[in-house]
Amino acid sequence: MIHQKFFGDQAEKVTPENLGEALQQAIEIEISTIPTYLFTYYSIVRSPSQQNMINSLTNALLKIDKEPRYTFDEASEIALNFSADIMVFANRTGALIMSVAIEEMLHMALSSNLKQALSGMPILYGRSPAVWPADLPGHKPALKINTAKLSLKQLETFLNIEKPMKPKVTNLKARRAFIPYPTIGDFYQMVIDCLDKNPNIPYNTHSPQLVPGKGYYAQNNIDTIYYDKQHNPVFTNQDDSGDLICVADKKSALAAINLIVEQGEGQLVKDAPYLDKDNNLDFAALLQYDFTPKEGEEASHFEKFAMIYQTYYEMGKKFEALDIKDITFDNLFITDIASNPATADYPANIAPVSDLINGVYTYIFVMIEECYRKSGSTQYETFMFGIHKSMIFILNSLCGDIMKLKYHKEGYGECYASPTFENYTFSPLARPKAQLQDLYSAAVSVYPAISYLGNRVDDLPDVDLK
Amino acid sequence: MATIENNKELSMCGGSAPKPAAPGAPASITPPVELHVCMGLNACKGHDRTGTNNCAGTGYCATAQQHSCQTLNNCRNQGGCGLYGDALQQENPGNNNCAWQGSCAVPIQAERFSTLGTNKGKSTWKLARQLFEKRMNEANRTVGPSPYECGPPQNWLVSLLGSYDSCGNSGNKRCSFGFNNPDDNAKKLCEGKAE
Repeated sequence: MIHQKFFGDQAEKVTPENLGEALQQAIEIEISTIPTYLFTYYSIVRSPSQQNMINSLTNALLKIDKEPRYTFDEASEIALNFSADIMVFANRTGALIMSVAIEEMLHMALSSNLKQALSGMPILYGRSPAVWPADLPGHKPALKINTAKLSLKQLETFLNIEKPMKPKVTNLKARRAFIPYPTIGDFYQMVIDCLDKNPNIPYNTHSPQLVPGKGYYAQNNIDTIYYDKQHNPVFTNQDDSGDLICVADKKSALAAINLIVEQGEGQLVKDAPYLDKDNNLDFAALLQYDFTPKEGEEASHFEKFAMIYQTYYEMGKKFEALDIKDITFDNLFITDIASNPATADYPANIAPVSDLINGVYTYIFVMIEECYRKSGSTQYETFMFGIHKSMIFILNSLCGDIMKLKYHKEGYGECYASPTFENYTFSPLARPKAQLQDLYSAAVSVYPAISYLGNRVDDLPDVDLK
Repeated sequence: MATIENNKELSMCGGSAPKPAAPGAPASITPPVELHVCMGLNACKGHDRTGTNNCAGTGYCATAQQHSCQTLNNCRNQGGCGLYGDALQQENPGNNNCAWQGSCAVPIQAERFSTLGTNKGKSTWKLARQLFEKRMNEANRTVGPSPYECGPPQNWLVSLLGSYDSCGNSGNKRCSFGFNNPDDNAKKLCEGKAE
């Protein structure tokens, strides 16, 4: 981990002098959210076998030793309906979390554009949390974020990450070398205040940024849709929900910041019943609130997580009411994985696969940095054939592959392995891509099923550390 | 790679022809077929995968290489479309500029729909066919009917290819949780209705 100290011990606001460090903090806040959301995403089986679910639910219902007993037809009908609800819920939850993760990647790029324009080169390599659980950088009070499977507790963490900024909390003291903030919206408001008070801050319009019109960002793709009970697709993001913004002046800087805050927290709800006077979330009240967005409007990250939380809670209660003993609700669509796993936890037949995943994950940040050094076709090729391919065809594939492997976790028992989203430290003695190829060779030697990835790794752009 | 040396004395009006440095090049070649991404999108007779179609628009299968997702296409006009990519890409199935710039799998199954752009929620294959017919109309060519009116159904592709996969983690488009008939959903797309 190569975290530098951003500020003095007591930095409490954004100033022209520390603006660059504040924007680097913004980048790291956005980066921190991505692995925690992705980890939970991968724990969800978006398309479980409905027939297996129907069979196990039917059998479990028929076994219930209580009068009146279900007939086979009654049990089958309950199983069909409940399994269909789970099919929709699992896929919807996956689509919503993925839609948030993709927008967090957009936010990471927007905050990097801000830093490039206002201070200089954004730093991404090595800036993902070094160990899990981690602190959301600078959040006050400290907010622990985990890599953990889907659960109400994990969703509560997500809701705390994205909760709206109300009411205003003052006199926060920096706990460590970050500017403290009670909500992400408050943090960005400090950046806006700094830009407002200092209209002569210069904007660098010459250095490369990730800009719209290149196909780098798409509001929806097949992973952000789910199917309703009649198997019609439902789109989780609106087409006009936002795009990359080239930061060239104050107006575009504010537009980028506002987009980040609006997508994350959404509109401020006056007297929101789910926030107490100290800005803490009241989850009982949150369960009662209607978060359904208006027609044509996109739900914020907070609202998306709130809707998942509500449905998860309701379906869990509905399952409990069935009084089934043999199976659990979660096991019907969530993979049993340990929280905050580390590669060091894994046996020799899994650890090299985990190293490869972390190498690819880290190399994506190396390539993003390259996009801020190069413009034009080089940037396009690095993004589309490097970053995009790494995410879709290597990382996504590997995350699925590693979760087919089981191991014994001390204090937990037998469970599936999962991506660990740890930073991989590339040696300065060889090019990162060559090291990635070595990681692939080590991984495929213990797990030949991933041999189809060899060409994909070889095809990646060869980008060096700077 | 074979190269031709630049000869300053060689002009358009004379001089000896440069000697290609490509030993063993055949004296004649089989003319390649036009590369296109799916059933019913061939511009010429014999330009489908089987080479047996009679006229434009009646071919059974893509001449471009089969692939499963965005950026995996070989070259220009060989990318499918619909499930990934931005709005502009999704409005141009089979019309990408270069290698790795297609936005989805080839061939395009009848059940596929666009996820962005003006065709959002509607059939990707029908958009590809519409663009193809426009091009043929501008070229004053008669277009015959596609073997399937709305493109190749996924089940048909599976029966033909052994397996068929297009990208994404949201599950099989052609499916039912017990509350719909997949054929009805496919018919809706075929009729040009948005999903």
